[in-house]
Amino acid sequence: MHPLPAIQVQGLGKRFGPAGPVVLDDINLTVAAGEFVCLLGASGCGKSTLLNIIAGLEHPSTGTVTVASGNAAVMFQESALFPWLTAGRNVELALKLRGVPRSARRAQALELLDLVNLADAAHKRPHELSGGMRQRVALARALAQDRKVLLMDEPFAALDAITRDLLHDELERVWRQTGRTIIFVTHNVREAARLGQRVVLMSSRPGRIANEWRIDDTGPRRIESPEVSRLAIEITDQLREEIRRNAA
Amino acid sequence: MPHDTRLLNSPTANSPAAGAGHDGPGHDELRRLESGLDALQTVPLTEKGPWRRALGGVLPPVLLLAALVVAWQFYTVIAQPRPDLAPGPVDVAASLIELWNDGRLQQAVLTSLGRGGAGFLIAVAIGTPLGLLLAEWRLLRRALGPLLSGLQVLPSVAWVPAAIIWFGFTDATVFFVVLMGAVPSIANGLVSGIDQVPPQLRKVGTVLGASRSQLATLVVLPAALPGYLSGLKQGWAFAWRSLMAAEIIAMGGSIGFGLGSMLQQSRDLADLSAVLATILVILAVGILVELSAFAPLERRLLRRRGLSPGAHR
Repeated sequence: MHPLPAIQVQGLGKRFGPAGPVVLDDINLTVAAGEFVCLLGASGCGKSTLLNIIAGLEHPSTGTVTVASGNAAVMFQESALFPWLTAGRNVELALKLRGVPRSARRAQALELLDLVNLADAAHKRPHELSGGMRQRVALARALAQDRKVLLMDEPFAALDAITRDLLHDELERVWRQTGRTIIFVTHNVREAARLGQRVVLMSSRPGRIANEWRIDDTGPRRIESPEVSRLAIEITDQLREEIRRNAA
Repeated sequence: MPHDTRLLNSPTANSPAAGAGHDGPGHDELRRLESGLDALQTVPLTEKGPWRRALGGVLPPVLLLAALVVAWQFYTVIAQPRPDLAPGPVDVAASLIELWNDGRLQQAVLTSLGRGGAGFLIAVAIGTPLGLLLAEWRLLRRALGPLLSGLQVLPSVAWVPAAIIWFGFTDATVFFVVLMGAVPSIANGLVSGIDQVPPQLRKVGTVLGASRSQLATLVVLPAALPGYLSGLKQGWAFAWRSLMAAEIIAMGGSIGFGLGSMLQQSRDLADLSAVLATILVILAVGILVELSAFAPLERRLLRRRGLSPGAHR
């Protein structure tokens, strides 16, 4: 049985203003339900714009985007937690905006925080948490939206390498446990090769899909493993080729 | 060796089959690793005790004040200036006691504080919706914004003559001047508070599915609270100054006897020590309101957000 695609992008183009440069050009992308796709590209290739369009935060100039479940949860590079609320309340606010009755919110928020191993930090405020902890609270908050699709815009880019490595494991575990469809935007080739079932490489100016790699899912991989390195080298070579094309 | 040792430094960890299980012991390893890193990356907050804080906050200004009074007293004892031109602290204290004994001091403080407080509350009631409108309605902001900023610069005492002509010597004159002083500050404070809300927070609110009104009440307003509070603080300062100015200029009629009136009355009697005593009372009331109302509110608000100015030590 062939499952319906979770996200379908067809002939999508984007330019800011009628005279502005073309940011995205003829993007076609189909993401299956439960798939983990990494969207990779150099700065300015429009990958974040593409993510914002899929999230419904921006509108495409041409083409269509269909998200089967209707809506998507989003996680950003900055955790963007509400600084006046505790970690628990941050998650509860997401539940509230989703329409979860007050009586059920607290328990559900704790459950979600426990999923990212932060149940003990529920009473702490964002400034008392480390960067990695804040991103995990943001992940719990995104999961609180209970949407089948999770869009992530370079969520670990600002973290140190040790924390990032750990959060890769954490995210992968959460993905396997919750069965979310994930689009993960990054400019880190190894990160993409470590996490994705599929890596989509975008070229810059205009942003187009240049190539894609499917990775056999044989269970969790480590970022240091030879398969990840081999794939990373291959992707980096093509990425550099794409960048060279922009040289004057 | 079990297959879920991917987090341990073992040779099997790199093989494709390693860690195929995503729950069970491997998960526990991840949890312990994560907890360890969390513990390493969070610095326990060391709060000063309330006594140490009070001592550190109260002692320096009190010592300075005492030193100033002593220096003043020395000056009057050593230089022997004319007491009607440079009264010493003892004369001023005597005036203060005299004003207290005939009841004028209490009456003036209560009248001024009551009027200042009421005027400030009315200013909040007007300035807050005005600020909200200005922040959210661009056209109004472009039209009214410069005028409001101008009003903030205009000394509100300039309105006193006009207010006397419009309202006569009534409380309405005093309130009008206080409002003209405080409302622009409060409205502008709220506007700049809302302007400084990180766009990322609004974006998150939208992504989380907040409606327009939910976005305003659950995201924008709480985020703008520090800016709003500093607007309120400035609004109170302007209200208090405007009130004193109005009370000095506009006396008589149905206007009650406030601190400004007391100041002016003492001047008419050429009683400098009473004038200085009144100035000190006006100063003290301002400091007390700041310390008892705004400072604790601000400290709580900022500390909850990790913005406390004393947080970096």
